[in-house]
Amino acid sequence: MTPPDAVTPPQAAASPEPAPSPPESTRTGPGRLLVAVYGLFALSASARAAVQIATKFGHAPVAYLLSAFAAVVYIIATATLTSGSPRARRIAVVSCSVEFAGVLAVGTWSLVDHAMFPDATVWSGYGSGYGFVPLVLPVFGLLWLRRWTRRGRNRRTAG
Amino acid sequence: MSSVNGAVPTIIVIAGLALAAYALLMTALNRRMGLSLLVGLGVLEILLLVLIGVIVARLIGGGRPAGLAVLIGYLIAMPIVPVAAAFWGALERSRWGSAVIAVAGLVAAVLMVRLHEIWPAIHV
Repeated sequence: MTPPDAVTPPQAAASPEPAPSPPESTRTGPGRLLVAVYGLFALSASARAAVQIATKFGHAPVAYLLSAFAAVVYIIATATLTSGSPRARRIAVVSCSVEFAGVLAVGTWSLVDHAMFPDATVWSGYGSGYGFVPLVLPVFGLLWLRRWTRRGRNRRTAG
Repeated sequence: MSSVNGAVPTIIVIAGLALAAYALLMTALNRRMGLSLLVGLGVLEILLLVLIGVIVARLIGGGRPAGLAVLIGYLIAMPIVPVAAAFWGALERSRWGSAVIAVAGLVAAVLMVRLHEIWPAIHV
């Protein structure tokens, strides 16, 4: 009876559990959905901010500028997650972190100071006008990007 | 005719939500985007084009919303959504391609609500 090790190909690792296949890029797998939603928000927030600033900027300048800032952040997230290069991933981590802080900060500010936010913006009320998707989106973005951290890489090379 | 025909936006909401539900089912079943979802997107696209035609006819007839520029923006964006979703979802080999289609269906339904806010003459 041949020992099972004799037929094991030499390059197969000795890990006890099957390793999950590594994601090829930030824009495949679950990242596909993430990029789709980020792209949607990039367009939607840009259009909304553009209309607000072009037609009634004096009405709520701070709110509309924050709206434009959110749009820029979404554009950066979409571009970097689509690119998938190591440098793009690093930028994406910063972008999603800023995005998360922004949603929390603007959300709180908009609830506390109604006078500054007479019209709804993307991050007003923690994104309540958009089904709170702006609140959870950066969390999923950061969780997805974690797969490319050193821990995620070790999990891949061990398999 | 005091308002845009409410039947078309209603059908789009139903079709969008149905497509989203079916696409979510395909995602849960770990199925990549296939012909059935593509056909669903095609039907949604045709419905959206019909709605655009109805709205344009109403505008030509003299109707005006409070924010015409915003409405035109929506008219341009609406037909792009199913097409963009088809490309982005079809090129993905995993279940997440189907998930993209679910987003498109939901977006179509939400767009109907937003259209009503822009121009109350458009209603479900």
